[in-house]
Amino acid sequence: MGEERRSRDRQSDRYKFGKINEVTTRLLEWYGWEHRYWRAAAMIAALLLFLVSTSVSLSLPGQALYAGIVLALALYLRRYTGTLFTLIMIVFSVNASSRYLYWRYTETLSMGTWLDTIFSVTLIIAEVYAWLVLLLGYAQTIWPLRRLPEPLPEDTSLWPTVDILVPTYNEDLKVVRPTILAALSLDWPKEKINICLLDDGRRDEFREFAKSVGVTYLTRDNNHHAKAGNLNEALKKTSGEYVAIFDCDHIPARSFLQMTMGWFLRDKKLGMLQTPHHFLSPDPFERNLGTFRRVPNEGELFYGLIQDGNDLWNATFFCGSCAVTRRSILLEVGGVAVETVTEDAHTALKMHRAGYTTAYISIPQAAGLATESLSIHVGQRIRWARGMAQIFRVDNPLFGKGLSIMQRLCYSNAMLHFFYGLPRLVFLLAPLSYLFFQAHIINASALSIAAYALPHLFHANVTNSRMQGKHRHSFWAELYEATLAWYIFRPTLVALFNPKFGKFNVTAKGGLVEKEFFDWKISEPYLIMLALNVAGLAIGIVRLFWWNTFEMDTVILNLIWTVYNLVILGATIAVATETKQVRSNHRVNCNQKAMLKLSNGRSIVCQASDYSEGGLGLIMPTPGMAPLNSDARVSLFMGDREFVFPAKVVFARDAVVGIEFENLTLQQQMDLVQCTLARADAWLDWGENRVIDRPLAGLKEILYHSMRGYQHLWHDLKDGLHNSFRNKTEDNAPERGLFYHKVESGPDDSGVKGVMLQKLGSFMRMGRNLLVRPGRS
Amino acid sequence: MTVIAVISPKGGVGKTTVAVNLACTMAASGRVVRLVDLDPQNALRLHLGADPADQGGLVHQTLQQNSWHYAEYDSAYGVSFVPYGKVTEFERITFEAHLTQTPDWLRDNLVEMGHEPGSYTIIDTPPGPSVYVQQALSIANLVLVVMIPDAGSYATLSSIESLLEYYCANRGDFYGSFYVLNQFDADHPLNRDIKTVMQTVLGERLAPYPIHRDESLSEALAFQQPVGQYAPHCQAVDDIVQLTGWLQNQVDQADR
Repeated sequence: MGEERRSRDRQSDRYKFGKINEVTTRLLEWYGWEHRYWRAAAMIAALLLFLVSTSVSLSLPGQALYAGIVLALALYLRRYTGTLFTLIMIVFSVNASSRYLYWRYTETLSMGTWLDTIFSVTLIIAEVYAWLVLLLGYAQTIWPLRRLPEPLPEDTSLWPTVDILVPTYNEDLKVVRPTILAALSLDWPKEKINICLLDDGRRDEFREFAKSVGVTYLTRDNNHHAKAGNLNEALKKTSGEYVAIFDCDHIPARSFLQMTMGWFLRDKKLGMLQTPHHFLSPDPFERNLGTFRRVPNEGELFYGLIQDGNDLWNATFFCGSCAVTRRSILLEVGGVAVETVTEDAHTALKMHRAGYTTAYISIPQAAGLATESLSIHVGQRIRWARGMAQIFRVDNPLFGKGLSIMQRLCYSNAMLHFFYGLPRLVFLLAPLSYLFFQAHIINASALSIAAYALPHLFHANVTNSRMQGKHRHSFWAELYEATLAWYIFRPTLVALFNPKFGKFNVTAKGGLVEKEFFDWKISEPYLIMLALNVAGLAIGIVRLFWWNTFEMDTVILNLIWTVYNLVILGATIAVATETKQVRSNHRVNCNQKAMLKLSNGRSIVCQASDYSEGGLGLIMPTPGMAPLNSDARVSLFMGDREFVFPAKVVFARDAVVGIEFENLTLQQQMDLVQCTLARADAWLDWGENRVIDRPLAGLKEILYHSMRGYQHLWHDLKDGLHNSFRNKTEDNAPERGLFYHKVESGPDDSGVKGVMLQKLGSFMRMGRNLLVRPGRS
Repeated sequence: MTVIAVISPKGGVGKTTVAVNLACTMAASGRVVRLVDLDPQNALRLHLGADPADQGGLVHQTLQQNSWHYAEYDSAYGVSFVPYGKVTEFERITFEAHLTQTPDWLRDNLVEMGHEPGSYTIIDTPPGPSVYVQQALSIANLVLVVMIPDAGSYATLSSIESLLEYYCANRGDFYGSFYVLNQFDADHPLNRDIKTVMQTVLGERLAPYPIHRDESLSEALAFQQPVGQYAPHCQAVDDIVQLTGWLQNQVDQADR
């Protein structure tokens, strides 16, 4: 193990300090870069090279040779670490894709019959869209800023006042309670923090809860503009210099404010600072595919890379929760935007237009529940897509004043991204135009298509794997987008034509899928596409051997494309198979020291393996130590502080003991949240067990899920024949709970060795000292 | 040789228990450890499985002007020990008078016993100031004060500090004095408060992890075993292991 690591280190050292790197470092340090004329000259030279390399036409062998050389070069350079090599690979990728598109446009548009023309133009529009998003994506994430927290002054009297706003509408108190308790434990001077529960549901239960824990309870007499309106109303009734916003199910870590506030003191123009939305439960993809904590989820690309990329260009978006805003700037742009259903992104846009800055810190400082079923997930994404399309219409970032060119591009990409619905459907159905109608949508031989398209696909995948691999595995974007494509393409188009149409829908959290079932309703579009592709495959085989033997290469190409589409569709089917959720009340895996004190006076050292609102799972050193149904007390530790909770042993098998807390006082409930979900390091090493992305491994995994999808479908079809309506009449009355899936958390305070920690380096040590509890003894 | 004196301001705080278990934990990590019982209660030996009927000890040997060699026992737990011995009241008075006249008695005897390099001698003493504590403090390299988290113990803090100041502070071979809280129960608010106060007053000199109140410790004595032997998974064992490591660290730092 050690030997292996050493040799790996040696290897990476070689690539770090290799000859090529020395040359490039010298190139980077060249004085000419400081000079405006040299820079302009370099730009012009680069542009010329780009135009030439994109448009120069080569014979088929010439193109194949050129592509082969560039491919080999990319594969060789891929081994070197460092941003410069990433930049080089981006250049290769942009070149390959642009070349492909230029060739497609100039030489392959087929205007033979009207059918050919329609299909051909549709496909090339989809391809132009994909090319544009690829380029914008490179620009957006070319150099992630990876901002570190800024330390606060030693003197806590200089720390500003903060309002913590927690808007809620119809969520259960069980979901909101831990958020408020965690907010109460935030490490910040008590007289400088004001926690407000904004209840748009105007519920007595919430009023009483707020009173009992001593937080401000605010309501209003209407529900105009949903969450945005709720926040704006609260802005009128509060007065802190800063406003931190948490969705009612996002539990802040106690270090949240100390990690984030420093930048506001340093940068007086900073209007908003965002931290990641971290999910402690699996989303439907993760749950139904069983990839939780192993494969990065759909949101991780955004929070792990894109926001950090945006940060470089001062284009970090506001995401509505887990963020701090400066009140003066927020009010100056008119409070939280109400014109669109994605009020958060629009608010940040307004700040940028007004010349203010935003920032992003990629350290999870809060955790919440993920959407718990595919249909709800789809609903949430529809809202985002519609909102972004609305902004694109009512306040287009490409136009209007106040934005830098890169801000315009970052915003445009964020919005364009949500128009992927239609292009994705086009790609999923494109080969059928030939297989069904014999329409030649790409007017070229299969060989030349390969010579141009393969480098384009290959470079895009290799480069993206290098840039995004930690946050999005190869080929997973295909699955995520294919799953959502049908659902978001209509609302985005509708919003594009009529931005006023459509309302805000609250994302439900805390439900329970009681039993495994296949969601027929939501998979309808996939099933239709699946049927079409299967039909295409069958026809294609007939064409291959009988009808179209004169153009076998074209048939084969379209068949390969169809098979690929079937693989992706199979995986979407697997996502739509909702696996059952075992318990309504959580299970957050953890690994922290605990002590169980039994009624006979003995205290036993044990290990807490999971926790929940109601109890703890403990691993005892030997079996049979804790008798069932006996009273006990459990200690949890935070640094050298110890918290004791009364409990009862409710489960004991082998060395595993389950205890249930009994009659916790309010203080004890707060302590419990603090020892568990609100720990400063609770989410730091979340991604530690990840496998590293390799493009082919990503494809293989998708293939595996696809096979499982078909297996499920086959079984369901068989069952369906026996009992045709059984699965359609599922009624899942959501039983709400705080958390309800098996999820994991980090190690205890004393043993943090997360990847993030290494990244934080010395700051965390400093941060630890910062984590004194000012104003409290 | 490193000499550790274990003292306490009051009786019943578990000083002997801490001394014995500290010694056994050190021995378990491969160190040569000798325990010396200077407490007339003569209870240390019972923790280590000694025969309750055996009367031998260092008092008899001293009064007969013999070497301690004849009073040293090996235990089954990796440490050797020199018990105080079962003595009559007359013998005790004579012995204590002898100690008063011979301030170097402990030092001379330890030198005479000889020792392996890197070995430890842990001396258990009776609570409060006494001629025994005086002898132990005069030669200790390191002092461990065992306290319990109650108001009474806390009130004695200043008198202990002045005792340490008097005997130890100016010696070149003195590493320092450290405190540990025994019988700690976080469920009692007073325990937590006293711990916080002591942390403020003593700072780094208070062991970061207190030893928890744990029935296993009393049970272990009833079985005449060190607690690590009797109930290896109990919290107190874990605490003592932490304490041992922490003290070891202090010694290592002082050596450097």
